[in-house]
Amino acid sequence: MERVEPREGAAAQVIRARGLVREYGQGEALVRALDGVDLDVGRGEFVALMGPSGSGKSTLMQILGLLDRPTSGTYALSGRDVAGIGSGAAASLRGRSIAFVFQAIHLLPRLTALANVELPMVYARMPAADRDTRARRSLAQVGLEPLSHRLPSQLSGGQAQRVAIARAIAPGPDLLLADEPTGALDRHSGREVLRVFQELNESLGLTIVLVTHDPIVARHARRLVELEDGRIVSDRPVEDRITAAAAAEAAR
Amino acid sequence: MNALAIAFDSIWSHRTRSALTALGVVIGVFAVVTLTSLGTAVSNYVTGQFNTLGARIITVSPSLPAATGGAHAPGRRGGPNGFVQVPSTLTATDAQAIAAAGAGSIAAVAPVADLPATVATSPTGSAGIQAVGTTNAYFGIEQATFAHGRFDGRGAVLGSRAATTLFPGVRRPLGRDIYVDGRAFAVVGVLNAGKGILGDQIDRNVFVPVSAGLSLVKLTTVSEIIVGARTNGGVNAAARVTTRVLTARHPNRDFAVIKSTAILSTIQSTLSTITTFLSGLAAISLLVGGIGIMNIMLVTVTERFREIGIRKALGARDGDILVQFLSESVLLAVLGGAVGTALSAVAGGIIAHLAGFPAGLTANAVVIALGFSIGVGAIFGVLPALRAARLMPAEALRSE
Repeated sequence: MERVEPREGAAAQVIRARGLVREYGQGEALVRALDGVDLDVGRGEFVALMGPSGSGKSTLMQILGLLDRPTSGTYALSGRDVAGIGSGAAASLRGRSIAFVFQAIHLLPRLTALANVELPMVYARMPAADRDTRARRSLAQVGLEPLSHRLPSQLSGGQAQRVAIARAIAPGPDLLLADEPTGALDRHSGREVLRVFQELNESLGLTIVLVTHDPIVARHARRLVELEDGRIVSDRPVEDRITAAAAAEAAR
Repeated sequence: MNALAIAFDSIWSHRTRSALTALGVVIGVFAVVTLTSLGTAVSNYVTGQFNTLGARIITVSPSLPAATGGAHAPGRRGGPNGFVQVPSTLTATDAQAIAAAGAGSIAAVAPVADLPATVATSPTGSAGIQAVGTTNAYFGIEQATFAHGRFDGRGAVLGSRAATTLFPGVRRPLGRDIYVDGRAFAVVGVLNAGKGILGDQIDRNVFVPVSAGLSLVKLTTVSEIIVGARTNGGVNAAARVTTRVLTARHPNRDFAVIKSTAILSTIQSTLSTITTFLSGLAAISLLVGGIGIMNIMLVTVTERFREIGIRKALGARDGDILVQFLSESVLLAVLGGAVGTALSAVAGGIIAHLAGFPAGLTANAVVIALGFSIGVGAIFGVLPALRAARLMPAEALRSE
């Protein structure tokens, strides 16, 4: 994967959200999961989104990832207004511009690692040869090309999560969204996965938003945004950052 | 990974459940295809029989006189045993007149008198066999062939089954006596077994000379007259001659001239109605099978919320998911349909073997089966597939 350079005329801001509100239910049972969130994320940033459970961080991530729609507010992705786009257009952006890594290892169990990595490009209607090249290259980037023909059940948790990362980056997205990506992993595998994120951010300039409730995980990012009760309560650079080198050291 | 491959994989990974789900369609398609094929086969068979045996036969039946307004309401076998009591005025002389006038188009004419008489091998008693008074021409027109002897205008001729009923175990009963209403007739001929359903009637009868038979039961009229045309193409001409001769002899037109082709089309339309009706009933089982598919597909969609969520998060459009689940239900139904059709072919073979007439699959039935299967899979798959396609990805991913 080549280094992501801002395209000609493309906005330097990958995310520009204003006044995002998301409500669930009606009447007495109305829950306001997001209560007016403004957020800007520039190209090449690595942001950790932190907060206790129920703070709205997963809801925010789903809206940023076009998996869900805000009740009100505006959202521009790479300069394009996407708050009210239809499900087809959202699906197509999910295929190409936005990629996801989830807490639960969301690999399809009956497909090989390689086929799983190819899946978003299948839905993006990419030619088979192109797909194969990109899938193999991104599996190599997470160090798993030798295991490309294994089924998810034949991979360790950390390996499976790295396959999921390879799948996320293969189409060359503008934005990588990770929701508790280390939540289901042991400490060692978790560090390995975080190191991969840092490498992708540093060497390729990939924009990453990582949702976590774990302060140590958050320290791998460059910027920390904290949510509470659906509002952003703090937004600052990470000072005691765990660098890639340190992470590599720790992972050894 | 196209939609069909995914569908096949999913069906294969739940083999038992898929097989049970498809069973409804298997049974439905089996019933529809078997009944449709059978209907077509019977119809073709009857048509074939008519074409080889009966196409040239014209039947003259008694009918109500035209003056009473009941013209051409043919009485079935108008003799005393007939279901509809139309008194016959037809005579053996009428038959002779038709034969004399129609030498060009008519090959033979025979009077047929169903005699209200007992038949037995002793002067008293009854073997429950119908005695028919006729002439030698009858056997030519009906294409009945003799196993032994011939009709000599004095003795009796036995149909093949009548022969075994009257003289069980006797291979060649020529010269033995049978008694028709107590009067002895020497057996002078035995017929070969007739072919198919039309031959069956002749097999059960015994035949005596018409004049002797009529005088025995004190009747002067016959039940009907059969006329054999020379050629298949000459049937209409023969029917016209017959009508002209009889109109001259029966000015009040108390007879009906019926071509076997008309009978054939009646039989065919009746068969077709029965077939359609039965196939319609069988189609209800297809409906039940379709509901089974819908049920399981709804379960499948619920079970696979997570998979749907992943696929949507990876860029699958609503249409992609719709096609995926629709492919699965259609494939399931088509597989069921294929098994049902195969079973139907086996059943057709067995029926053909037992019934003695061809009852294989017709191309028609296979097309119907395939169409029904695809239709059932598509119609009953739409609701579950739509439910899957419309899931919001966030919602789908939440269900763990």
